Parts: sequence; C-alpha cells; structure tokens
Amino acid sequence: MTPKHCFLGFLLSFFLTGVVEAQPAHVCLKPQRVHFQSRNFHNILHWQPGRACAGNSSVYFVQYKMYGQTQWRKKEDCWGIQQFFCDLTNETSEVQEAYYGRVRTASAEIHSGWTMTQRFVPWWETKIDPPVMNVTRVHGSLLVILGAPNTPYRNQKGKNVSMENYYELVYRVFVINNSLEKEQKVYEGAHRVVKIEALTPHTGYCVVAEIYQPLLDRSSQKSEERCVEMP
Amino acid sequence: MATLQKSVSFSLLGTLAASCLLLVALAVQEGAAVPIRSHCKLDKSNFQQPYITNLTFMLAKEASLADNNTDVRLIGEKLFRGVNMRERCYLMKQVLNFTLEEVLLPQSDRFQPYMQEVVPFLARLSNKLSQCHIENDDQHIHRNVQNLKDTVKKGTILSAGFMDDMSFIARE
Repeated sequence: MTPKHCFLGFLLSFFLTGVVEAQPAHVCLKPQRVHFQSRNFHNILHWQPGRACAGNSSVYFVQYKMYGQTQWRKKEDCWGIQQFFCDLTNETSEVQEAYYGRVRTASAEIHSGWTMTQRFVPWWETKIDPPVMNVTRVHGSLLVILGAPNTPYRNQKGKNVSMENYYELVYRVFVINNSLEKEQKVYEGAHRVVKIEALTPHTGYCVVAEIYQPLLDRSSQKSEERCVEMP
Repeated sequence: MATLQKSVSFSLLGTLAASCLLLVALAVQEGAAVPIRSHCKLDKSNFQQPYITNLTFMLAKEASLADNNTDVRLIGEKLFRGVNMRERCYLMKQVLNFTLEEVLLPQSDRFQPYMQEVVPFLARLSNKLSQCHIENDDQHIHRNVQNLKDTVKKGTILSAGFMDDMSFIARE
C-alpha cells in the first residue's frame, strides 16, 4: 500500500469511527512512539502509552523479529508488563542485521493493535559512550590510559568484548590548563596509552577524552574530567 | 500488483545498506574472500568515506519507512545459497547492476537528497567491477540473481525458508 493510500485509509477510518462514536478503546490504547534506544549495543525498546482513554491498569506485550522473517517472536520477559520499556539486547545481537520490534496494550480485556518500530540496525544506530579514562602522574608528565566501552557480549574465554571489535575507533585527548582555562587537543589516534609531556610545574591540569568513529564521522560525548596538580 | 511491486522495490532499496555492508565485508577480508581474479575486488577505501556511508544508510532508512513489508528480504541468506566466498563479489556485482538499472534509476527523483549522491557512488562501484568475471560455471549465481529479479518484478513473496539463521552476513 502506498503511503497516500494508507493516509486516506486512516482518514476514512478516523472519520467513520470518530463521527459516530468516540474513538474505540483499541485505537486509543495503541502504544505510541515505539522505538529502540541503543548504547554500546544495549538495545532497549521504549514506548509511550496510548492517548487518554488508557486506564491505569494497562499492560504491554512485546514481540520482535529479524527483518525478512515471517514470524514474530514473543519476548517472554516483556509479556504483560506495566513498564514502558523492554530490553531486547540479547534478541538483537547480530549487530549488522536489521530488526523490528512491536508493542500492543491490553486494558480491561481490550487489546490494542500493534505499533511497530522503524527498521533497526544496531551497528548503524547505537551510540557509543565516552572512553573509560585513567590519568596518573609520572614525574613531570601525565599518563593517560584509555579504553573503549564494553558491549554486552563476552568472548569464548568469558571476557567482555569491547566496542573496538566492531568499529575502528580513534581516541581524542584534550587538556585544560587550569590557569589558562583553555582546552587543547593533545592527542588523536588509536593508542590506548598516551603520555602528555612538557607540562608546567605547580600548575593544575584537567584531562578529558572522547571517542571518534571515523567511518561514521561521529564522536561520543566527552568523558568526565580528571584533574591533576603538577608538583 | 503495481503497489506490491513498488513495495518490493522499496524493500530492495532498503536492503542496500546491508549490501554495502556485505561489500565492506568482501573488501575487508584479505585472503578468503578476494578472488585471484583481481577485477572482482573493491578496495576497502571505497567504504571508508563517512559522508557516503552515512548517506547510504540514510537512504536505506528513508526507503525502509516506505516499505511496510517486513517479511520479504531480498538480500539475505537465500541470495547467497550455494555461492562460495570467492564468487560473492561477482554475485553482488549482478545485484548492484540490477539495482541501479531497475530500481534506483527509475526512482531517482525520490528520496532526495540522498538519492542524487548515492546513485553516482554505486554507479562508480559498478563501473569498477565492470571487468569482473568468473571463469567457472556461474549458472547457480545467475539462478539466485534471477530469483531476486523475479521477486522484484513480479512481486512474489519469498518462500518460508527464511526462518533459517540469516545472521551469517554479519558474521562473515
């Protein structure tokens, strides 16, 4: 069906149902804004309750599938729940694949229709967190140790798999000289250990870092500041 | 029928990103995937341009919004069935050419501004693959590509074999 037809159909049904009586409960119960929010491949389905006619006792039912599959699968943990989100991380773990999720409501024995997400490709849509950062003073310089956020996955040895396994990542390190209050980029590259030298004694320095994904031209937010007083 | 055909075309458009990812996979894999016949190879740098990568994904996203058929996937497990890694780039060349000629160019006024940038990019890739041939029998490849073409043209829904694990693209 083309979008135009859909829209006409919608208008038609809207007028037909809207004029004769108030909107039927199964229409206004329908969950709204069903979408994935994804950070470091933790893929959480979120939604909002249907418009005003929903009672307080609404429960929600979640299904998901990979694009191209004919059958929807039931998410057991999110079957008849009251909250407005559902963790589908394990169900969407092939990160370059495309997925759909959908939600329906039930309230006082009345079921709404399903509301579906847009097509969701975790690899493309997930947001990367700032790097994990440690700063130590070594004589007159600072040693910055960086790490990429972990994904929900574990390798065969049971160790956490880092975001570095999925993207080429670049670290950017910035130094803020407390007396000048000026931020300066001191490093950009893939190394996880960065030495910052030529610092002025008796001066405070704060370090922040971010992660850049060159292939997607995206950066994470900045990490928290770590501040060090030089002797 | 016309609307169904359109929907399937969108579906193909929507999976373009997946096809690009596959091409990336082919380009990245040094030994295993790259055929000795060097014409069937795209340099990794083709897929390391964030501008066009982002546009391709945006186009796929826009197109997928117009495609409400979530059951039919054109670039999936079935397309690659019986095709070994060395032949995949050749297969994707056929899919790419078909996509350009029969899907993208006829609809090139839609999904702007993404279309006007992505189509020339894909056309350049197609051009780079123009010398790509394989020496041995390619009947099985043509059969798979023909299936895809038939699906787009006739709007036939792909059969149920799709419940298989289709995650292999990402793994490869």
